[in-house]
Amino acid sequence: MIKDITIGQYFPGESVIHRLDPRTKILLTIFYVVVLFAIQTMWGFLAAAVYMLSIILLSGISFKTVLKSVKPLAFIIVFTAVFNMIYAGGTPIFAEVNWLKWLTYDGVRRAAFMAIRIILLVMGTSFMTYTTSPIMLTGAMESLLSPLKLVKAPVHELSMMMTIALRFIPTLVDETDKIMNAQKARGADFETGNIFRRAKALIPILVPLLISAFRRAEELADAMECRCYNGGDGRTKYKIYHFALRDLWAMLVSLLLLAAVILLNVLL
Amino acid sequence: MSILEAKNLSFTYSEEDGKGEEVLHDVSLSVEEGSFVAILGHNGCGKSTLAKHFNGILLPCGGEVYAIGMSTSEEKNIPKLRKNVGMVFQNPDNQIIATVVEEDVAFALENLGVPHDEMEKRVSEALDIVDMLAFRKHAPHLLSGGQKQRVAIAGIIAMRPRVLILDEPTAMLDPKGRKEVMHALHRLNRQEGITVLLITHYMDEAVQADRVVVMNEGKVLLDDTPAEVFQNIGLLQSVALDVPQSAELMYQLRHEDVKVPLSVLTDQECVEVLADLLEGKYGDYRNQKFNT
Repeated sequence: MIKDITIGQYFPGESVIHRLDPRTKILLTIFYVVVLFAIQTMWGFLAAAVYMLSIILLSGISFKTVLKSVKPLAFIIVFTAVFNMIYAGGTPIFAEVNWLKWLTYDGVRRAAFMAIRIILLVMGTSFMTYTTSPIMLTGAMESLLSPLKLVKAPVHELSMMMTIALRFIPTLVDETDKIMNAQKARGADFETGNIFRRAKALIPILVPLLISAFRRAEELADAMECRCYNGGDGRTKYKIYHFALRDLWAMLVSLLLLAAVILLNVLL
Repeated sequence: MSILEAKNLSFTYSEEDGKGEEVLHDVSLSVEEGSFVAILGHNGCGKSTLAKHFNGILLPCGGEVYAIGMSTSEEKNIPKLRKNVGMVFQNPDNQIIATVVEEDVAFALENLGVPHDEMEKRVSEALDIVDMLAFRKHAPHLLSGGQKQRVAIAGIIAMRPRVLILDEPTAMLDPKGRKEVMHALHRLNRQEGITVLLITHYMDEAVQADRVVVMNEGKVLLDDTPAEVFQNIGLLQSVALDVPQSAELMYQLRHEDVKVPLSVLTDQECVEVLADLLEGKYGDYRNQKFNT
């Protein structure tokens, strides 16, 4: 049961979207977010929706999964939309009905914009993690942030920490399972009682887990030293990312989206 | 020339109050290039501590340690030592760094700054030697214990070390996994000419070595071929070590004045000796009176 925990929700696949360079995907996600905030017309959102839709179709990930990513945010979306509607001001739709004065054309427009914007935003950003494994993302981050090494930012160290953390998630999950079973066998009770009682019951799990994590860390450090680990200097990379033609295409299509959005903003 | 050498080595783990128990007392040991040496001993006898001295993870408190002809006490030798004296530990889970098998095997090569093309070649080579080539794209946490440990070994031999030190590499494995790992080790020793120093408390693994060093309380107790070492059954049992069952059987028979050879270690040898015994090769045992 505890093994089902997934981090970053990655769906392995072989589609074009999956095979894009992870650096391209990170950059284009940022780009896409910027474009979303630049949109000022309904037609602009339509363009963005078409862009998103083609990504979904190309990736082979089902619409159901995509909708699931938006679901937890339903409350925030409604909340933002309502507030935008109330505080927009402008011409009321039903000027003669007194208690509906707050409902304005501008308000409805802004509420719709906000809702669509958030939905497209969540879909787009979750698609990055859907189609890129966490380890690829870590590698890509290191590569993208490498210019920061010039100002002595610990880019390599951060990415090494991320890699090790990702590597040890399944190991520590297994261990938690074992410790829980061991404590249950000794009569520990994790299921009943109020929230404080249950939180307290977790201590006999956390303490052994922490101690074992320290022990593992020490052994891992020895093992890394034995394999000549000496920090990031003078290291070569096994996994090399190559920009391919498909990355160029992806960028081109994204630029087209931006062009379309700007054009629609100006024309309408 | 010996490839690993400890001269009058002593070592104390320093505690917070500055005192500590001496773990190694005046240990002298040398290992020849290309040999397969097993270090045998009870828990806490100092065998792991000794092993960690050979690539400079621990530095001697007294005496000196040389590996591939260089002193481990000199800081500038350490990178070269680490590359040439590879070390594998007990728990494979705590040695694997990456989330994909081939990336883990490449870890040491990345650290050494090996160019990318050369790296691919060496990763395939290393995985091939330990018979794990088919798993190169797998996630390590989904492999069995024996497979994980072989990945860990591949990660070391990708550096092309001259010596491989293994600290109880089979202690956490099931019998199948142990067999796989031992098979890989013998193959490395025989085909690749890598010197193997195997720390273990399994007798059947020690029996397969060229030489067995028995340690007790931080000292070398016995140091000889397996056949010679396992004749000292009384001594081994006194330091809480088992002997191979075949050796013990011969020892018991000898005790009863049956003139069987004592240098019998493996099941196969034991069967042959017993067959000879039944044919009367070792005298007529039937008329003998047995005490037990």
